[in-house]
Amino acid sequence: MSTTRRDEELSWGPREAHTVLHHDTPRRSGPDKVRGAALYSHDRRLPGLCYGVLVHARAGVGPVEVDLAPALALPGVLTGLQLREEVSFLGQAVAAVAAETPEQAADAARAVVVALDESGGWSLTPEAALAAGAAQVTRRGNVSGPDEDGDAEAVAKALERADFVVEAEYRVPVQHHMCLEPHGVVCDYRGGDTATVYASTQVAFGIPGSAAEALGLDASKVRCIVHHMGGGFGSKFSMDTPGRAACLLAKALGRPVHVFNDRAQEFLSAGNRSGSIQRVRAGATKDGKLSAYAVEIDRLGGVGRGAGNPAPYAYRAGATHVATRSIRTHTDSSRAMRAPGHPQGSYVTESVVDELCYGLGLDLLEFRKQNLPEGTWHRQLERVAREIGWYEHPHRTAPGRGDGWTAEGIGFGVSMWGGGGHDGAECAVRIAKDGSVTSSMGVQDLGTGVRTLVAMIAAEELGLRAQDVEPRIGDTDLPPGVGSGGSVTTGSISPAVKVAAHEARLAFAAHVAPVLGCPAERVTFAGGKVFDAQTPDRGLTWRDACATLPGEGLSGYGKWRADLQGSGVHGAQAARVRVDLMTGHVQVLKMVCCQDSGLVLNPLTWRSQVNGAMIQGLGQALLEERVLDQDLGIALNAQLQDYKIPGCLEIPELVALIDEGDTREVPIGVGEPPVIPGPGAIANAVHNACGVRVRSLPITPDKLLDGLAALRAGGATR
Amino acid sequence: MRGFKLFRPATLDEAVALLPGGRGPAEPHDARPLAGGQDLLTELKDHLVEPDALVDLTGLHELEALEVGDALRIGALCKVAALEHQPTLRAHWTVLAEAAASVASPQIRSQATVGGNLCQRPRCWYYRNEAAPCIKKGGSECFAESGMNKYNAILGGGPSYIVHPSDLAPALVCLDATVTVSGARGPRSLPLEEFFTLPTEGSIVRENVLKANELLLSLDVPSLGAGWTSTYLKARERGSYDFALASCALAVKLEGERIAAARLVLGGVAPIPWRCPDAEAFLAGKPNTPETWAAAAALATKGAEPLEHNGYKVHLAQGLVQKALRRLAGQEPTHAGGAR
Repeated sequence: MSTTRRDEELSWGPREAHTVLHHDTPRRSGPDKVRGAALYSHDRRLPGLCYGVLVHARAGVGPVEVDLAPALALPGVLTGLQLREEVSFLGQAVAAVAAETPEQAADAARAVVVALDESGGWSLTPEAALAAGAAQVTRRGNVSGPDEDGDAEAVAKALERADFVVEAEYRVPVQHHMCLEPHGVVCDYRGGDTATVYASTQVAFGIPGSAAEALGLDASKVRCIVHHMGGGFGSKFSMDTPGRAACLLAKALGRPVHVFNDRAQEFLSAGNRSGSIQRVRAGATKDGKLSAYAVEIDRLGGVGRGAGNPAPYAYRAGATHVATRSIRTHTDSSRAMRAPGHPQGSYVTESVVDELCYGLGLDLLEFRKQNLPEGTWHRQLERVAREIGWYEHPHRTAPGRGDGWTAEGIGFGVSMWGGGGHDGAECAVRIAKDGSVTSSMGVQDLGTGVRTLVAMIAAEELGLRAQDVEPRIGDTDLPPGVGSGGSVTTGSISPAVKVAAHEARLAFAAHVAPVLGCPAERVTFAGGKVFDAQTPDRGLTWRDACATLPGEGLSGYGKWRADLQGSGVHGAQAARVRVDLMTGHVQVLKMVCCQDSGLVLNPLTWRSQVNGAMIQGLGQALLEERVLDQDLGIALNAQLQDYKIPGCLEIPELVALIDEGDTREVPIGVGEPPVIPGPGAIANAVHNACGVRVRSLPITPDKLLDGLAALRAGGATR
Repeated sequence: MRGFKLFRPATLDEAVALLPGGRGPAEPHDARPLAGGQDLLTELKDHLVEPDALVDLTGLHELEALEVGDALRIGALCKVAALEHQPTLRAHWTVLAEAAASVASPQIRSQATVGGNLCQRPRCWYYRNEAAPCIKKGGSECFAESGMNKYNAILGGGPSYIVHPSDLAPALVCLDATVTVSGARGPRSLPLEEFFTLPTEGSIVRENVLKANELLLSLDVPSLGAGWTSTYLKARERGSYDFALASCALAVKLEGERIAAARLVLGGVAPIPWRCPDAEAFLAGKPNTPETWAAAAALATKGAEPLEHNGYKVHLAQGLVQKALRRLAGQEPTHAGGAR
């Protein structure tokens, strides 16, 4: 039941009081997506549309010459253009051609002659980049750093006093975002001074400016529409090369142009999660204290710097020292990817924690609690431990060996993130005389359920059902939204929608109070009715109340407010795996996540986010790795046959638990944190099962079988 | 994609006449037979082959038959999915039904044909990359030999180190199938085991004895006979839509506590389905125990010469052989995870 407190007293209220929020609500776009009726940007087909295809350089870097003439002579080809004079990484786009059909454009792209001087060679792998005489990626060489933090002397002393020391090198390969919809735009420009750009982006309001620049228009004359988009995961914060090419081709032709990457181009030039090599020296004392943690981190971010890897992640160590450098290669720059840097940091730290526990014969769970700050993580670890069956598990201080055929094990990991929102989002809630309600904000829905939230929040405030409110999103002609990155979306948009709906309600209360014969403060909106709080049996239906409105209806407008959202989240995960000791196959049987994120506005889409993140973490743990051939200068698995992501048969029982101990009554984003602990938890579960420590991701049968063979031979585990 | 003519013959004679060297009306010089298209269309899109013409075989309905009686007769155009669902086949030719069920994904199995599955080209990522002019594409070098060879051959390799990608092939060789092919001089039959060729046998750019103007028509699979059971185990990195890291087709005849006879063929480890005669001979008459299984497994990979990154396949193949023997001994626990 809603009351009509003044704006400054506005709050979300206790979670048990909600009738729409904090209740499972199916996503609004679900039926359209299932029926194929939802139009993604890639699906846009406009009158007069032509198709552009990017031309990518093959092996080689350096100055490039492009001959478009053979392509322009082909049937249906409309125009072409060179995009850059210099190639800096493998597979970078150098030109674009446009034709009447996608097939003609693809043929034309193959006909373009790209001349690249290959004599300087290339450095595709960190080993190649560090070799004597390596081809140089930047004028300042292939290595930047190291940047150092911490106290190396204190670490040395602590390691001397430690009862057990781990020295090991860990490797995390480059992982791809794997957006189902590739990067690209449809640019609808037909001459004149306006244009509409349909973009697959996670920041709709960032598109008009860059599109306008390419088109030579004012930003105010360019509209961006993103009604549905097929995933970004951090890789879609700009229009990118396909977008720029689409605008340039459209400008040249005065016709709408469709340019999207194909799958191979996605792998080579649409960003990635940076790889990492970490050489760790860590020590612990037999009373269970993590006394020292030193790590040399090589970030592998291609031509970019790569993401920083927090170490020793969430744990408190007596002494720490972190030295980070970036090794540059002639490969696409890494980009933000769902919790940038954190899975790399978490996987290595959690692995080292388990190695220390086994070295000292300590309980894996108790050691974690002892070295994590008290409170939230302790509660969450105990929760996931109960759910995964830890307290009945036979191998809590030493790994098992299995029965000769299979072995089962359990592993843990924790996460940390912010998830707060920021200023910039605005919302308009409009109530029409016929009783219909729209909640409008231009923000894109990255796939997380934003569209549904924009309706739910307004419905809660107005005493309606979620389906009674029509959400309008994904359009820069609407009030501004924010970019979806850093898990900020929920924290940024929710306050604005709440305030807008509240303003509309106050205005409605003032209007309808004389009709009800009570002061506006007593007008109550609940259960699809409008009534005097003192006479809840009487009053008006929502529709009848709206019929008293003037012809233009009424509306409320809201902006972000810091006090209506929060930040700072924690999570813990546990994984149970079965290792086939004969084949090296790892079957994840169950993953459990316990996560706090304040007031969970829609538990259904919240669980979807957490489940999806656990699956993505499973992929990083067991399947995903970019493979390049330094000698030939080619990518070997830039396709979905050999770059493997989880399928139905990989997906275990997934349990996503809202941390009920978190009493904050404000929403906080949850997009990123649950992707963090999976690789560490799964790697630890594998080791716990069979005694093999695989120190590089993904944990594939080849590595595990080699480790099992070494274990049988009595050698060290790898 | 390069344009091509599409022929849709209604009879086998017309089809053969349209293939290279035939008497067909258009006399295209590089025509390829097209059945389910699950491999060939991918090869076309990836620019690995660029034929003048495709000869669509799907009008040759007489090649679709699946006859299940005392023996099996499988037409080349029979869909892979048909083999996994036929109940008698599942009961008596289990290794074949299990192999069929392990192929790719349900969508692909419903479109892919048995003939196409046996004739599919290698999956080696150098072969599949247009930018790598490897020996299988008419080049001079096998880049996998010294490159990223995790998925390549440990047996029978050189000068090419591809592995044969078919799941049906090891199962059918295990069942002593006979294949009938149609050539310019009429049909001929041969043991399926002799159909596949090592890189040192025949043309390096082919994986079997078929000539460009020949078609695989059908397979005849005898019954295993009383007392035999069989199974197919496939190890792969991903549970569906993935090719074998290694696979094992096994049939055994049990007599009391002993193994009377066995047939064993490995997949995913060699350029051909790899029959293991030493292991088969060893198993005959041995007690059905874990010690026997381990010794047979070691014999199965005899002669393996791993490359830099695929030594694990020796352990993997041996593990599959032991798992398969254990399964047919009826000693597998119910969860049976791992290789499905």
